[in-house]
Amino acid sequence: MIMRSRSEAPLRFLNLYQIRFPIGAIASIAHRVSGVLLLIALPLLVDVLERSLRSETEFDALRAAASSGWGTLLMAVAAWAAAHHVFAGIRHLLMDVGIGSGLKQARLSARVVLAAAPIIAFYVLFRGLW
Amino acid sequence: MVRLFSGQRAWVAQRFTAVVLLVLAIAAGAWLLFGAPLDHGSWRALLATGHGAVLAVLVFAMLALHGWVGARDIVLDYIQPRGVRLALLGVIALVLAATLIRVVLIVATLGAA
Repeated sequence: MIMRSRSEAPLRFLNLYQIRFPIGAIASIAHRVSGVLLLIALPLLVDVLERSLRSETEFDALRAAASSGWGTLLMAVAAWAAAHHVFAGIRHLLMDVGIGSGLKQARLSARVVLAAAPIIAFYVLFRGLW
Repeated sequence: MVRLFSGQRAWVAQRFTAVVLLVLAIAAGAWLLFGAPLDHGSWRALLATGHGAVLAVLVFAMLALHGWVGARDIVLDYIQPRGVRLALLGVIALVLAATLIRVVLIVATLGAA
């Protein structure tokens, strides 16, 4: 992202393209996005629960569906959402008790959280859940 | 409806459910990683026991409550028109309540069967 320094260009009006999102804001937005995805997944998860208990055939069919191409992609997205939400949540809980709430540490932990969740998602994408 | 779990109570509920879910997620992860491979028989047997059924309902109750607090925050932040806000919150509350009732019914019929 290119930003002209203040000395070069006096701020005459609000340029939305020059607003840079701090790393913490990105982690925070992703926390919300992942939360919404998980909320949408919740009723579907109950469907999965019901089907998995119904019969062995259904159970194995669900497992096969999760390992199919689209299923693996869906599992990877779900893994990203769950991982990011949990990591970002732990970050917030730690900050609540005063751990890592300084600006420098908070920026570092935001980076760690943002990087860790995609790693898990890619692992699921290429290796599958089981 | 908008007042349902607001302010400090919502904040406490969000943190409490988060910690409980985190502990349960770690336990479930360890169980899946180090336990015997999961098949239909053992899965069904687990949920057919009293403890398993209570645990399942507990997990979904925590998820629903945690989801409600988060969804409410997001709706209040981004949706301003009062009517739309109420309608959306109503739908979310209804879906979450229905989801939880479904889980109760699923494990209840499992124990009876």
